[in-house]
Amino acid sequence: MDKLASLLHTTPAIVWMVGKVVVVFLSVFLLASVWTWVERRGSAMIQDRIGPNRALLFGRWPILGLSQLLADGIKFFFKEDLVPEAANKGLFWLAPFLAFVPALMGFAVIPVGKSFVCDGVTYHLSVLDPGNGMGLLYPLAIGGLAVYGVLLAAWSSNNKWSILGGMRASATMVSYEIGISMAVVAVFMVSGGYDPAEVIKAQGHLPWTWYVARQPLGFLVFFTCMFAETNRLPFDFAEGESEIVAGFNTEYGSMKFSLLALAEYSHLMTASALIATLYFGGWQVPFMADPPVLLSVASFLAKMLFFAWVFVWIRWTLPRFRYDQLMHLGWKILLPLSMANLVFHAWRMSQGH
Amino acid sequence: MFITFAFVTLLGALGMLLQKNVIVAGLCMVATFFGVAGLFLLLANPVAAALQIIVYSGAIMVLVLFVIMMLNSHEEEAAQTARPVQRWVSVALVAALAFGAVKLVLTSAGLKDLARSGEPMPGAMTLQKVGTTLFAEHLLGFEVAGILLLAAMVGAVALTKRDL
Repeated sequence: MDKLASLLHTTPAIVWMVGKVVVVFLSVFLLASVWTWVERRGSAMIQDRIGPNRALLFGRWPILGLSQLLADGIKFFFKEDLVPEAANKGLFWLAPFLAFVPALMGFAVIPVGKSFVCDGVTYHLSVLDPGNGMGLLYPLAIGGLAVYGVLLAAWSSNNKWSILGGMRASATMVSYEIGISMAVVAVFMVSGGYDPAEVIKAQGHLPWTWYVARQPLGFLVFFTCMFAETNRLPFDFAEGESEIVAGFNTEYGSMKFSLLALAEYSHLMTASALIATLYFGGWQVPFMADPPVLLSVASFLAKMLFFAWVFVWIRWTLPRFRYDQLMHLGWKILLPLSMANLVFHAWRMSQGH
Repeated sequence: MFITFAFVTLLGALGMLLQKNVIVAGLCMVATFFGVAGLFLLLANPVAAALQIIVYSGAIMVLVLFVIMMLNSHEEEAAQTARPVQRWVSVALVAALAFGAVKLVLTSAGLKDLARSGEPMPGAMTLQKVGTTLFAEHLLGFEVAGILLLAAMVGAVALTKRDL
């Protein structure tokens, strides 16, 4: 790395930082686009269909239809870019980016593997090093911003269905954020820190000391709220296609639509990474106190991708809720549950002292 | 970095004042709060930065929602008559306020401490420090604020839901 740094006339620290940013965000982006394929194949599997299997890479290799991604990408890029006559043009353009960027940014704080020491320098495998002071408040803050993309896309389209979708999305977000925060506060309290590195360290390497076993109620609340937060079925009220056409993205086509879809999948990736970090020990390898770095990365990826698959799985298993049921669930069930979880763990900690 | 964040803050604030479209004005407000969050980060207070984004972006979100729900036009209406006196009075008031604020900052004790060198820099703010400060030094204020918020919440529910 020193050689590369001197070649580029910078310091190794900067090379490492830039490398981390590029690798992490590019892989999340790529995983998000691969997940559009996983979703289609997964839905086909669940519904006993075949799914996309026709697209051939270079017209020759049918790798399970995986090259459908490229075909879709090329198609979206070359489609005519329509903007409705009565739309607010500037915001209509801005909205997909506002949806996409926060979805990707939330990933920055999550450690994808164990920190390691090389030549006396400690390298951390997260874009924001531990001890940055924002810790897990950062994904919560950024996650809250994601709804602006949806709301703006909805409002700027100047379409009644879009507005309905946007209103629903933002109302959902405002209601479910409280449940999420309460569940996360219980985790902060028990681990005694709010930095993801501290949370992971506090969980240890044994599966029954992970927070999913120590705070099952908190996990259930957080997990359920994440579906609302990422606008995924059974809570995807922003685009209930049986009720409001396609909700907030009714007027969107071509690459702008693609960006909105990718934003949803990036959000899904960030949400799975958060679940893995908060409740499943992050990069900890079960029954290994001090795993090798690569194994820790593999362990984190396995956990994250498993939850990303659960998101797909649940989407094709459960029907959509009704809107009032969603509000009922959020305010009258999940919020009291997460409060009960918080109070219970506070009480247990006070007994321990 | 400071210049960038200061520009974001000021431009956002200006945009918020000058925009006729209420929703765009709300977005400019979000940009302003982002700039302020950046400034908090530069002041070694990442907790305040994160809370700034969490609390204010959520709050503005509700504001924007109200605009969409309650107003049909989404555009600010022009004043029916010109108000020259009010305009000059407001300009004078703002100037006086700005003058007072700048003077307060320039004469504050904190500024003199900055000139002293050789002392260790205080560490960055953490959530733990915020918690201990709130519960150890400002317990009364914290509890009073909590009761006030609870009263406001009960009031809001009682006002909107007449038959409970």
